[in-house]
Amino acid sequence: MPLENTKQSAAEALRQTRTFGKVRCHNPSCMGRIQPEPGARLVKCPTCGMEYRLYWVSPTLPRIRGPVWDVNREIAEKTFAEKQAVTKPTAGKMKGK
Amino acid sequence: MPLDRKIAHINLTTGDIDVKSIPLNVRKQFIGGRGLDAYLLYNYARKGVDPLGPENPLIISAGLLTATCASATARTHVMAKSPLTGLLGSTNMGGFFAPELAWAGFHHLVITGKADKPVYLFIHNGNIEIRDASGLWGKTTTDTQWAVREELGDDEVKSLVIGPAGENLVRFANVMTGIKNSGGRTGMGCVMGAKNLKAVAARGTLDIKIAHPMDALEYNKRFIDQITSAKVNQTQGTLGTPFIWGATNCWGGLRTRNFQYNQLEYADDIEPERLDEIATETIGPHHMTGCFACQVHCRAQYKIPSGPYAGKYDEGPEYTSLGAFGAEPGCTSAETVLTGNHLVNQFGMDNLETGSMIAWAMELYEEGILTEKHTDGLDLRFGNDAVLLEMVERICYRKGWLGDTLADGGIPAAEKIGKNSFDYLIQVKGMNNLHSDERATPALALNIATASRGSDHLRSRPAIDLYHLPEGVLRKIYGTPIPYDGPLSSEHTSYEGKAWMVFWQENCYMAVDCLGICKYHTTFLGATLPNFEDWPKVIYYNTGLEFTPEELWTVAERCNMIERMYNIREGLSRNDLKKGDTLNHRYFDEPCKRGAPDVIGMCIDREQFEKMLDEFYDYKGLDKNGKPKAATLKRLGLDREPSRLL
Amino acid sequence: METSGKVLTIDHEKCTGCRLCELVCAVKHDGVSNPMRSRIRVMKWEAEGLYIPMSCQQCEDAPCLKACPVKAISRNASFERVEIDYDLCIGCRTCVSVCPFGAMSFNPVEKKVFKCDLCDGDPQCVRFCEVKAVDYVDAADVSLKKKKAAAHRISVAGKEAASLHAAL
Repeated sequence: MPLENTKQSAAEALRQTRTFGKVRCHNPSCMGRIQPEPGARLVKCPTCGMEYRLYWVSPTLPRIRGPVWDVNREIAEKTFAEKQAVTKPTAGKMKGK
Repeated sequence: MPLDRKIAHINLTTGDIDVKSIPLNVRKQFIGGRGLDAYLLYNYARKGVDPLGPENPLIISAGLLTATCASATARTHVMAKSPLTGLLGSTNMGGFFAPELAWAGFHHLVITGKADKPVYLFIHNGNIEIRDASGLWGKTTTDTQWAVREELGDDEVKSLVIGPAGENLVRFANVMTGIKNSGGRTGMGCVMGAKNLKAVAARGTLDIKIAHPMDALEYNKRFIDQITSAKVNQTQGTLGTPFIWGATNCWGGLRTRNFQYNQLEYADDIEPERLDEIATETIGPHHMTGCFACQVHCRAQYKIPSGPYAGKYDEGPEYTSLGAFGAEPGCTSAETVLTGNHLVNQFGMDNLETGSMIAWAMELYEEGILTEKHTDGLDLRFGNDAVLLEMVERICYRKGWLGDTLADGGIPAAEKIGKNSFDYLIQVKGMNNLHSDERATPALALNIATASRGSDHLRSRPAIDLYHLPEGVLRKIYGTPIPYDGPLSSEHTSYEGKAWMVFWQENCYMAVDCLGICKYHTTFLGATLPNFEDWPKVIYYNTGLEFTPEELWTVAERCNMIERMYNIREGLSRNDLKKGDTLNHRYFDEPCKRGAPDVIGMCIDREQFEKMLDEFYDYKGLDKNGKPKAATLKRLGLDREPSRLL
Repeated sequence: METSGKVLTIDHEKCTGCRLCELVCAVKHDGVSNPMRSRIRVMKWEAEGLYIPMSCQQCEDAPCLKACPVKAISRNASFERVEIDYDLCIGCRTCVSVCPFGAMSFNPVEKKVFKCDLCDGDPQCVRFCEVKAVDYVDAADVSLKKKKAAAHRISVAGKEAASLHAAL
């Protein structure tokens, strides 16, 4: 069986969608692309305001190490109070937040 | 060149050994590895068999591609009826055992009976020998392996072993190989212990023929490039699976303090980067290691930096050890995580189940359901590191009332503890959930609810659902090899199209488990990794077997269906909280109170969840109760099972 | 002279112990998967996480070549390698005994000794080793990378000593 081998598979074709030098905001409803300064240790999401500590796997591959905890806690407490004030939230009903 | 591979039926009671060739028509239907194991289990495990009795067949296998020129195909699969859940027992592990088993001449072993004294099997170039293991009984997992080598006088022997936990019939005991490669889920080590089988040792120098060697070699290069160029695998190769834990803790998907919170705050000491520093300090800059023929090298090596076990060498920790000894018990010390990881590896018990059971007991203690009387005086509060590690040992050796109770697994323990303790047990089908919180992610919730071996992320989790990929990308992935034009949502909190994604992943993961490929080499954590369109080439070049992507999909459906048929035969029903496709009430009615801002306060909507489950059943060809329709069985060629073809 | 010839180098500290080199070596040479047939083997001390790939050093003054009673082993200058002439080889395994590295192996199926042939200039072990624990470099540069790594270590140690001194 001479196998069709030259054509790219779906996975191989998707390789071109990879981006380097950026991270995705780890706030799941934001997920905005953040482009930190090369080598930066801290970054703030311009979309949602979350602040993160960064780690560089390689010079072109940054990764979010974790949130800046005090900022995280502050936003969390505020959000929880807001959510409690409205109604019992369930996944799927939070769209457009 | 015909593929001639062997299966051995071994009866430990009688000592009978029967070797057969695996017929190609069976290969075509179930491929190998987990799929063929499921076929064997359905055929050889009588309905209602005692999981700890001699009749329960213990099935050990290598994947179809294991030990061929296809990278990262080192997976060993083990199946039996689970002593933890009473349903499908199934576990998958990396390392070097499966290829050695293949070079020793076997791809599947079906072990029945029970030896009257401790034994181990030695499999060597087509021969199988049952040997005395009296001298090995009581040894830790690594000591057992080194002792087997010494006895056989061969350093290249690879063994799959149990530790003290398996001997003591801890219901979630591991099978293990190497330093830390574990088949952890569903208590397969307990089944080995019940059979008095301490180890299966393999050593082989037989050829595994490659159908088209030069094509296989070239394609392997292309396959590896695709895998190692993915960002996710570069990160994995630097930080190991803790990187997933770190990310999960950041976004708030981490099951913390037995599902009370979604995040372990201020956990800097156990962040993957910190663990990487410890590995660098204790081992050196090149401290990553890998399974057979894998270039991802996702496993860290380390020495415990401090405490009573300071200086001990181990590998990992993986995500689950960070969950078990970090977030679940509410501990934030690297020493605790690295020590706990070492203990479970040495004892041979599932870190995931161990951590979850202790965290559950901690919540029961804080709620007053368990008291100091039950704990023999231990102050079992969250965040008590010393008590956490003490409990690990008590479970392994069944010490004290609580150690012995927890060693029996969640549901029996809840029955023994009584009151409303079961309400706090975060389990599906009797097995604890991964240390992740799925209250904000319906797709992931559906995945754990329906996973065939009980709550589990490695059966059907569409992890990439969290990446908010553009719809076009999602369509490209989830629309092949079977066209799909229903809804697909990039929004992780949506219920739209998630049933299809879970169905697709279920087939994808089944296929890799049949082939013996590691899940980091397919559409699990990265969207650009190989799947159905890529595998026919690897299979053809290596084995000469011809499959189309669509045929592989159908095989995966068939194998998943036979697993489901097995579970139904053992009592699975849709809404049974202990044996069904449903979740603990906390998912539906207890919003998470503390953790990451975005997912705080979220819950799964019961009505939408049920609708999603209906859709999932529909894709699988099941009726509303989750039972296969007659037409589905006919379409998949399963209407005459059990067929006993090998 | 265009090149001074290339040599296979092994940096065991980088080795992850995966043994992909063994796999591709056997497939390339014998068309089958079987580490026993591989010219390169990773020796392991799993209990301490130590992995060391071992292969032929293509010695300048090769004991196997000297010891061969039928002169079946010779030096091939164009590939900078020591090679076996199977038309002359009598399968006595003297070369296996004298090799100080255990790099000469014996295949009990075909009853032949075998060793690394550098894949005629494109060693597959190197091609597949992403961490470059096995590398194929110009002989003239063989120690340059080590020199640089050692220099870096000295520099780091120097800085640490300086900061210690400052803190005192």
